[in-house]
Amino acid sequence: MVIILLLSGCSAEKEPAQRRPIVLPKLSQADPEGRLILPLGGEPSILNPILSSDSASSAVEGTIFSGMVRINEKLEVVPDLAKKWDVSADGLVWTFHLRKNVKWHDGHPFTAEDVKFTFDAILNPKVNSVRRGDYIIDGTPIRFEAVDKYTLRAILPKPFAPFLVQSGMSVIPKHILEGKDINTAEFNRKPIGTGPFRFKEWMSGDHVTVVRNDNYYLGKPHLAEVVFKTIPDANSRLVALKTGEVDESDIPPKDYESIWKVPGLNIFEYDALVYTYFGFNLKNPLFTDVKVRRALAHATDKNQLISLVLKGLGRIAHCPMSPVSWAYSEGVAKYDYDLKEAKRLLKEAGWEPGDNGILVKEGMKFEFTVLVNQGNKEREKAAIILQQQWEKIGVKMNIRVMEWSAMLKIVDSPKDPKDFDAVIIGWSLGVDPDARSIWHSDQYPRGLNFIGYDNPEVDRLLELGRTTMQKSKRKEIYADMNRIISYDQPYIFLWYPRSVVAVRDRVGGLLTEPGPTGPFLYIEDIFVTK
Amino acid sequence: MRKFVIRRLIHLIPLLIGVSLISFFVMHLAPGDPTQLFTDPNVKPEELARIRANWGLDKPIIMQYLFWLKNAVRGDFGIAYMINRPVTEVIFGRLPATLLLMISSMLLTLLITIPLGVLSAIKKNTWFDNFITVFSFIGMSIPSFWLALMLMLMFSVNLGWFPAVGMYNPLLKNPDFVQRFFDVAWHMVLPLLTMTLVSLAGLTRYQRAAMLEILNQDFIRTARAKGLSERVVLFKHALRNALIPIITILGLSLPDLFGGAFIIETIFAWPGMGRLGVMAIFSRNYPLIMGIVVLSAVLIVLGNLLADIGYALVDPRIRYAKK
Amino acid sequence: MKRFKRNKLAMIGSTIVGALVIFAIFAPLLAPYDPSRIVDSDTLPPSIWHPFGTDDLGRDVFSRALYGARISLTVGLVAVTIAITIGTFFGLFAGYFGGLLDSAVMRFVDVMLAFPSIFLILTIQVMLTPNIYNVMIVIGLTSWMGVARLVRGEVLTIKERQYVEAARAIGADDYRIIFKHILPNSSAPIIVAATLGMAGAILTESALSFLGLGVQPPTPSWGNMLMDAQAYLIDAPWMAIIPGLLILVTVLSLYFVGEGLRQALSPKEEIK
Repeated sequence: MVIILLLSGCSAEKEPAQRRPIVLPKLSQADPEGRLILPLGGEPSILNPILSSDSASSAVEGTIFSGMVRINEKLEVVPDLAKKWDVSADGLVWTFHLRKNVKWHDGHPFTAEDVKFTFDAILNPKVNSVRRGDYIIDGTPIRFEAVDKYTLRAILPKPFAPFLVQSGMSVIPKHILEGKDINTAEFNRKPIGTGPFRFKEWMSGDHVTVVRNDNYYLGKPHLAEVVFKTIPDANSRLVALKTGEVDESDIPPKDYESIWKVPGLNIFEYDALVYTYFGFNLKNPLFTDVKVRRALAHATDKNQLISLVLKGLGRIAHCPMSPVSWAYSEGVAKYDYDLKEAKRLLKEAGWEPGDNGILVKEGMKFEFTVLVNQGNKEREKAAIILQQQWEKIGVKMNIRVMEWSAMLKIVDSPKDPKDFDAVIIGWSLGVDPDARSIWHSDQYPRGLNFIGYDNPEVDRLLELGRTTMQKSKRKEIYADMNRIISYDQPYIFLWYPRSVVAVRDRVGGLLTEPGPTGPFLYIEDIFVTK
Repeated sequence: MRKFVIRRLIHLIPLLIGVSLISFFVMHLAPGDPTQLFTDPNVKPEELARIRANWGLDKPIIMQYLFWLKNAVRGDFGIAYMINRPVTEVIFGRLPATLLLMISSMLLTLLITIPLGVLSAIKKNTWFDNFITVFSFIGMSIPSFWLALMLMLMFSVNLGWFPAVGMYNPLLKNPDFVQRFFDVAWHMVLPLLTMTLVSLAGLTRYQRAAMLEILNQDFIRTARAKGLSERVVLFKHALRNALIPIITILGLSLPDLFGGAFIIETIFAWPGMGRLGVMAIFSRNYPLIMGIVVLSAVLIVLGNLLADIGYALVDPRIRYAKK
Repeated sequence: MKRFKRNKLAMIGSTIVGALVIFAIFAPLLAPYDPSRIVDSDTLPPSIWHPFGTDDLGRDVFSRALYGARISLTVGLVAVTIAITIGTFFGLFAGYFGGLLDSAVMRFVDVMLAFPSIFLILTIQVMLTPNIYNVMIVIGLTSWMGVARLVRGEVLTIKERQYVEAARAIGADDYRIIFKHILPNSSAPIIVAATLGMAGAILTESALSFLGLGVQPPTPSWGNMLMDAQAYLIDAPWMAIIPGLLILVTVLSLYFVGEGLRQALSPKEEIK
């Protein structure tokens, strides 16, 4: 067995593989009874969009349910159950005009009552929905009214730009769930929606199957069936792709070279809406001085990080917004890799090299611990590399790998100051650029602003960004905001990763140049051959 | 005999209370709680506090335990967090997969281990014996996950004989019993092989040692002296007694089977309880954890009980002594 | 002792274990590189410069294996010491005093045995931050039960022996009897259990590290090296083979030693 392994190891050549262009099958070759198998990294917890918060459940729900609006590959909001909508001049009243002749999977007609029911359920404190906070603005919930069978009105306490994206919440059926305890309803295991596919079966721990909804309002989907297989181990997912047991898999950077050598696959690359960063606990005396933070940013060789950790599959990040978002703009402070500048700034801040090279100031050593969550190899590697990079300027960083829940407990605790020095972590951004919960000073110590960032100008811009409806104006506001944040360097922004997805070449209907949502955009457009 | 079984079953009750008590408190001492897993940046902390209250997590621990106990004795283990289904339903949904794998593994192990161990003892110090010895020792030292990955590489990727992941082929249309049977069996080969090879090694060693010890005993010498043929000596007298230790060990290895099963279940994406249990611990899914721990304890004790009964059946001395 | 020396496998085993211990102790002198230093930008197969190759981050696997030996062997030793100590205490007292104490202890042992140990270990590990000390303690705390039963069995037999009765007749107190007479005579199976227990502890540590709950990176242990290697099985198989082989060889050697000790110390198998 060892011999077989060595032989297979030796046969892996070191020259880079040839990059093939994407060749997708034509629609004329589509199999009308085609089945697609997709992997899930975890078991779905519950198939009810207002209750679930894990990505596995969302993936399945995306095929079963639909909302008033949805997102296209350019991250724009486009009609779905709502044909059109308008906003009143003062930005307080949104009116959605819904499609007629949409039926639930059980045949019952869909109306505005269902939409109102969905939002009311989310706002109901007895329902364990995590989305509730999305529909409460400064303490006042949004009011939803079914004006008539096909018109829904939402009345906001103040203008709120992110509402458009949030109005795309998947709709749940009133005629089934009214009067029941939504938390524990049987529906959550046997969902009924208005989406392109109907729920068929859920073999606990193994897979979930959905079948074509022939009456889908946007046209009959090409695929007869979609299967979601739960495969928790990343290597096993890759193996399953190679053996044909699944049709798609995400490809981690280390497998990028070798996946090009596997025949029968199309490889897609795109930028997702995520970034990884190094977060300073701003209440820690080591990090209160902005010069220190800027110095550490200058001492970070981000290119080396990307090449070692991501094997080059990523871009340097300088600000808290992804380049794929419409709100992104250049013109932010950038900190080039410059050890001399780093040392100079630290000296200015009062830090002098002590014994064994570690910086000292007023008897305090520049030594601290960074937290990284266990299971994320990339962040671990980044920590190790940063540790060695920063040694060069006399900073001693210790690394502590923690289990996710335990780490969250420390980072999210309501204590002030919190029990950590620094973290390496990432944000997965929403479609709307509003990031108030991350940067506003009132989101500390309870909230996502766990580093304790407090800048009144940024607070003001955050509020303004949400209540301004015009995109171009919002973009300017966020440009200002990002510039200020980059000057303050409350995080060292590390990288935007490049996502790689490999799909078997029998799958068609994919986007050859995917947006941040990936090559699979609308499941009803996907087909397979043979 | 019946009294023996009943007595053991009665012992189960304080045992379960002990197990559940320890689990409950240890679990709650762990930092973090289930609401912290809602990691969506848009989730507000007041929402988490509300959900925590909905789940009764703000009451004192002893009250939570007693509340749990009150329901548990009626068979109601509560609702699992996040999944929002009764714990019993969640567990029983996954139990068959684990039991299937474990029982098959135990049977296969027994089937192979007993003849191998016995033969090894009879043919002591021959090349057969030495080969088996070396093989056993190596097998006892291999980390199971390493073996799992190797087997997957060899048989799934390189040779393509068996599927790498899952328990069912979801594309099978309305299979009848026979088709379903073969489908599951095919998927089970690799995980089964891994589990069996790992336990096989140690048990073969043990069986050999036990057989050797029996063969040295007085009553065997007596039987030989009486002139009985070697075959009769072996099968009628030695073998029966040699089975005793193996049954005990099998019983004792039940807890480890649960544990080892988790690693194998994760790699092969086998939808069993092991994976469920570890996921529950990581997500602080208290009702689910309690349910699994209690159930495992019950299964383990029952397993030991069966082992003891088997023991008694095989060894007449024990049976008569109990009278 | 002589019997032990005659057992070839046991001698090989002891030599290997001895060599590993020496390597572990002198790791800082023997390791060509710092185990946490990135020395190359690529993952290299074994060569003259790197006898075991480099890992996914570009660190020298040979050096990591040496330092890893320290960790794995220490964990094994300390864990088994804890387990033996606890188990022996429980076994001694339960066996000697009998009655209610015995029942209580054995019930407790039953409860502990009914736990799927992996769950208990996991739960405790998520309770504490996983680090080398917790790993040793946790493994020790969950593997003493077998020793307790073993020792209790021995004590029950020895209790009735003549020299114990003699000691009691002279008027020696219980503790003296336990520690001066019973314990030394039951030490044989304890020593054997210790060797086997150490092997088991090393395997458990590797399983825990595989789950990410053992010794935390970047500190190398054979177990967490295997975890890192998991994703590189095809691209860099040496990353998995080396620690796997090391664990195998160590555990194997310990088993041989244990077997040898058992045969040497137990009078029964001599008669054939």
